[in-house]
Amino acid sequence: MKKISLLLAMMILSIGSIIAQRNITGTVIDSDGEPLIGASIIVKGTSTGTVTDVDGNYSLQVTGDNNVLVISYTGFSSQEVSLGASNVVDVTLEEGLALTEIVVSGQGSGIQRKRLSTQVDVIDAEAIDRLPANQIDQLLQSNAPGAQVRLSSGQPGTAAIIRTRGPISAASSATPVIIIDGIRVDNLNSNPELGINSGGADISALADIPVESIEKIEYIKGGAATTLYGADAANGVIQIITKKGRPGQQSAFFETRFGNIQAEDKWLRFDRTGEAIFEPGFSQEYKAGLSGGTEKFSYNVIGSMYKDDGFNDLNEQIRRSFNFGLTSNMSDKLTYTGSFSYTGFEYNLDYNANTSFSRFSAAEGGAFGNLDEFSDEDWDVLKQDLRDRGALTDITQRVNRLVASNKFTYNILPNLSANLTVGIENRNSRQQEIGTNAFQIQVGSIAPGTTDQAYMNRSVRNVFTTSSDLNLRHEAKYNEFDFITIAGGNFFRTNDNQELLEGSQGVDGTSSVNNFSTKTGEDFALQNANYGIYFLENIGWRDLLFLEFGGRFDQNTSAGEDVGFQFLPKVGLTYNISDHDFYANSGISNILNSLRVRANYGEATNFAEPFSQDRTFVLESFLGGPAFRFDNPGNRDLKSERVRTFEAGIDLGFFDYRLNLEATYYDATTVDALFTPDNIPSSGQLAQVTNIGEISNTGWEFAMRANIIRSGKHDLNINASYNYNENIVESSGGAAPFNVGGFLVIGTWVQEGESLGFLRGTKAVENPDGTFEFEQNAFLGNSFAPHFGSFGLNYSYGKFNFFATADYQFGGTNVDLSLLLRYIRGVETEGVVPEEIANRPFFDLVQYFTDDSDFVKVRNIGASYDFGSLLTDKLKNVRLGINMTNPFNWTAADFDPETTGSGVGNQNGFASGGFAYGTESLPRIIMGSLKLSF
Amino acid sequence: MKKLIIFSFLLAFMGCSDLVDFTEVENPNLSEASVVGQLNSSTIWLSGIERQLSLLINEIVINAEIASDNYTNDQTFFNQFLDGLSIIAQDDDIADLQFDLHRLREMAVFGKVEVGPNDENYSTDTEAEYNYFEGLAYMYAGMYFTGLPAEAGGAPLTDAANYAQAITLFDAAIALNPLPEYYAAKARVHYLLGNKAEAVAAATAATDASADFLRAATFDEQEDPDNVMEDALYERGTFDDLQPLPTLDFLDPKYSFNTAQEDDPVYYMKAEEAWLIQIEAAIVDGDFGTARTIMSALLDLVNSRPARSIDDSIEGRTERDIGSRPDSACVVVNGREGLVLDRNEGNVSIPNVSGTSLTQEDIDGMTMTDPALELLYRTRQEIFIAEGMRLVDMGVKFVISETEQLQNDNVSQGTVGTEAQIPSFIADVADQLDAITFDKGTCTATTVINLNEILVFNKDDKAVLPFN
Repeated sequence: MKKISLLLAMMILSIGSIIAQRNITGTVIDSDGEPLIGASIIVKGTSTGTVTDVDGNYSLQVTGDNNVLVISYTGFSSQEVSLGASNVVDVTLEEGLALTEIVVSGQGSGIQRKRLSTQVDVIDAEAIDRLPANQIDQLLQSNAPGAQVRLSSGQPGTAAIIRTRGPISAASSATPVIIIDGIRVDNLNSNPELGINSGGADISALADIPVESIEKIEYIKGGAATTLYGADAANGVIQIITKKGRPGQQSAFFETRFGNIQAEDKWLRFDRTGEAIFEPGFSQEYKAGLSGGTEKFSYNVIGSMYKDDGFNDLNEQIRRSFNFGLTSNMSDKLTYTGSFSYTGFEYNLDYNANTSFSRFSAAEGGAFGNLDEFSDEDWDVLKQDLRDRGALTDITQRVNRLVASNKFTYNILPNLSANLTVGIENRNSRQQEIGTNAFQIQVGSIAPGTTDQAYMNRSVRNVFTTSSDLNLRHEAKYNEFDFITIAGGNFFRTNDNQELLEGSQGVDGTSSVNNFSTKTGEDFALQNANYGIYFLENIGWRDLLFLEFGGRFDQNTSAGEDVGFQFLPKVGLTYNISDHDFYANSGISNILNSLRVRANYGEATNFAEPFSQDRTFVLESFLGGPAFRFDNPGNRDLKSERVRTFEAGIDLGFFDYRLNLEATYYDATTVDALFTPDNIPSSGQLAQVTNIGEISNTGWEFAMRANIIRSGKHDLNINASYNYNENIVESSGGAAPFNVGGFLVIGTWVQEGESLGFLRGTKAVENPDGTFEFEQNAFLGNSFAPHFGSFGLNYSYGKFNFFATADYQFGGTNVDLSLLLRYIRGVETEGVVPEEIANRPFFDLVQYFTDDSDFVKVRNIGASYDFGSLLTDKLKNVRLGINMTNPFNWTAADFDPETTGSGVGNQNGFASGGFAYGTESLPRIIMGSLKLSF
Repeated sequence: MKKLIIFSFLLAFMGCSDLVDFTEVENPNLSEASVVGQLNSSTIWLSGIERQLSLLINEIVINAEIASDNYTNDQTFFNQFLDGLSIIAQDDDIADLQFDLHRLREMAVFGKVEVGPNDENYSTDTEAEYNYFEGLAYMYAGMYFTGLPAEAGGAPLTDAANYAQAITLFDAAIALNPLPEYYAAKARVHYLLGNKAEAVAAATAATDASADFLRAATFDEQEDPDNVMEDALYERGTFDDLQPLPTLDFLDPKYSFNTAQEDDPVYYMKAEEAWLIQIEAAIVDGDFGTARTIMSALLDLVNSRPARSIDDSIEGRTERDIGSRPDSACVVVNGREGLVLDRNEGNVSIPNVSGTSLTQEDIDGMTMTDPALELLYRTRQEIFIAEGMRLVDMGVKFVISETEQLQNDNVSQGTVGTEAQIPSFIADVADQLDAITFDKGTCTATTVINLNEILVFNKDDKAVLPFN
């Protein structure tokens, strides 16, 4: 009887729920009547929702009759619609500043953008999907208006130097922290400590960050925006939020891309270099995904495979990835969000830049003489030799990377929730270089006929990172005030273990170190744990004025013994003036319809390399026996360097948001900057990283977005940004200038009163009487370009879309090292230096080998057309696209100022760039794509 | 019961806390406790000091040779400023040299004070070595700087004070274990101080202990440090190209490929030097007979030293302007034949300890006093080529590095050691030190100046020819 009662009760409840369920349909369009594809429709207060199809239509099951729908679309103001009697809800969205968009990065928990005083660059799925790039740095380039992304080589596996507000640290590569769904991932943007040196263009962990399933990227630039992250976030944070699927009908897609890859030969000194080394490549990519779900459970699965054989005759890369994301409403109060991604990446490299094995730098640097002066017969011999070298070159890299993120949200009360994020990343990479006897004979390093001098190096790096964050979020209202309070704690821990195996005196035909008669090994380890507690209060007044303040107590195991918790404060104010009624009713709002001012102050830090606080010794091998030496002197007071940032800005929306301008001024001072100058020589001790420096970065950031044409089916948007950075080393703490890159003759240096990493060398100064004086250690230019930005356009006509992106920089200086080498080798001497001093040693002439690093580069031009449903209803859309990468560029100098592979420092080193040398530029790629959506 | 449950939870939590202690990190590198207080650590520390000396010798040799007239360097990434005798405090190579010199001292002191006394197997021989190496640090400080601190951040000692410290330490080493190189080191310091009697006494003690002793800085081709001078002279990259004065061509390259494991050593302390000191003292004293006798013995010794047959055909003498420098056996330099080798006619034989163009006829025909001194200094130049001694014979000294000046409260501009020492008669010919004329057609090469003649002419200058 009891069971029957229970069954009846359940049936009644079920019937009730059926009765209450409604099917809401509608169309979402913009103010010109164009359908918005992929607009989000969510039942407010739930995770129930769907997205619009290619015609802007949607269909959604909702329960109850008092529901409110929230309709949002990136770049448009969100709308809330209360459901009435009608089951059809059509919505027109207005373009806007997206201030209602939820931002998660740097806040502990999601918070509306309009409440924030800090700037966030957001790159949405649409912008990401249209780019053929498969590296995070390439996605950011010219899409993040405040970022300076300089791709340092066309070799696979290499990545860009990324900076925003200038070089803030002499102890790091300036690479932002990268977070995937709340989990920190390896962002080492240089060769590992025990990595194999292939010359100069170093491989990077950024090259295999999974990018195949991105919902959006949030990029925050340091300062107050990153305070809550604590240590290591001063360079900014890039957060990747992956797709988790949405409730609604199951959808699927299949996409394929085919590309032709051509080397960029514009900057070659000798066309014959390209003739020997370059050959057109072919790329192919296949990607498929499945997405869908119910109110209780949604999912997104994407798998992809990519392969190309590069523009260099020996390069090849293969990339495989699998991504899975899900959301599960486990109960009314508990929601679980999880994601998992795998990336497998294999490629091979050519030697480049600073190694005599490099075909490219040897040819361009004049090691073979003037290639133009070779007779055809002689050239054929050398060309074949270079090709044979390429065929025998064997440097490979394999990476396997797994990221898993788990997030639990528990709504304790309607206005109180708890969020727990736990996850791991594991990245294994293996570099291998085999120098067969045949290879060494080919490059002339051993005598023909040698059979027992083969060598092999294998470098293995394993990085395991654990991340966790637990916070409570509380919302409250009191009269005209509302409060969002977030408090929590987090930690991350990274173990970086590296091993280098070396075999020598071997025969050819093996890739096992076991088969070499001499075997040696090295290891290297870093361990670091960072943890802290944080709080944030965001107070709103009438939804107009917002005050935020908070801070973090931060601790790091890389600090010295005498250093305790560090407190990092932040405070900010945002005033949305145009939201006042009086403003809305005034005539000015017809022109300037949005006016917002914001200001904030915040501190963020970078920690020193783990273990650099310890005093250590080393046991060297010296002529077969053990030999001790002093190593790191140790520093009990070592702590993270602290970047204090004040920023203020104004956001303006004109003509119904058709013209949007943002301007931000920042003043960031790195105090207790981590400098590693040479120790006082009389101590006999090695350099010790110490908190003695002070670096100042001030600048302006301007961004503009404009809707130029909005007429009928025509829609043309343009965007542009300009950034200016002024950098100066305010204090070196009494230390002598120290070198952070380059050479004795001309290098990048840290010196009080100059910009960080400026170029230093001898300057020849001409006197009025025509004689010259030579000033040693003179300023020869900034290795960073202080002026930079991006611009682009996006035009659509109905279902046709065309876009272009570009970026630029000016004001910097690079060294043309290839020219210097050609000069030294006597290959190119005419007109390089003034005749009167041509007999001077080249140490006195280095300024003549520098030039402006100005450029304007068009990164992408693409077009696509959505055919809609073809052949069968199940095929909802067919999109055809074509994309050209790096089609056009202009540079002030005769070299490519981006190819600064040889300027990228060692692990945890400073990346100044500044030396254009010896590695290929990024290729031009023409790629066609076909995407079928089901 | 409730308390028991709470206690159990607490216990479980405490146990669990070990499992979740994510802050535990372990530095895998050696701490001081792994070095000090360990059995046999004094021997391993001594090897470390030997290694440090090799690092220092690398810095000394490459820079001092480039700065001297021995080698010219205008197209390599080795220091070019020094080649023109431009000596400034901002020079990184000078800073490195100074650092390695102090580091040698610090390692020796740490060995004497910390490592040795805490090792049960610490021997008097090892203690003698510690003293010797500390003494070498002071000796090189005096040789290459007019003033250098004797402790971290300390006030600079004059070169004479540094030499005095060196003598004290060499005496301490000799008292523990009287090796000939200890005497030779002491002899060199007295020689440079101009203490003729003490120098001769120590030099004689050295040659009495061994007439042909050698003490080398050794180099590890595989693990580093390898011999940098050997890299520059022989195992070159595509554009490293140091060129010797044509009068020294037959002595180049002093260092060449040895084995894949061990690079050529630098014999920085050798019997030849002790003999040369005795000869110079005899010449200055007017004791021609003794001078000739010892010189003949020295010639025998040099001729008995090994030479290596090497394939040096890669040596183009200059790659930038091939044929612009003497590269053939036909070349007569300053009227003398046989000084330039033809490297494309099979292997060449190059002495790798000492070599000289000195002949018995030269000795027999030697006239006093200045011609003898000139012949002696030519011989010193030849015997010590690629060892960093020529710059000392020229009386040139480097300057305290900017790195030290900025961080050392006891050093300011004008303090002893902050000015480079370049004798005026050297400064006058700074541009001509490596200059030659070469007529390929007539196979005639001439050095623009005869520096040995200039040195002897200025023998009364206290910076050179210390016995005068």
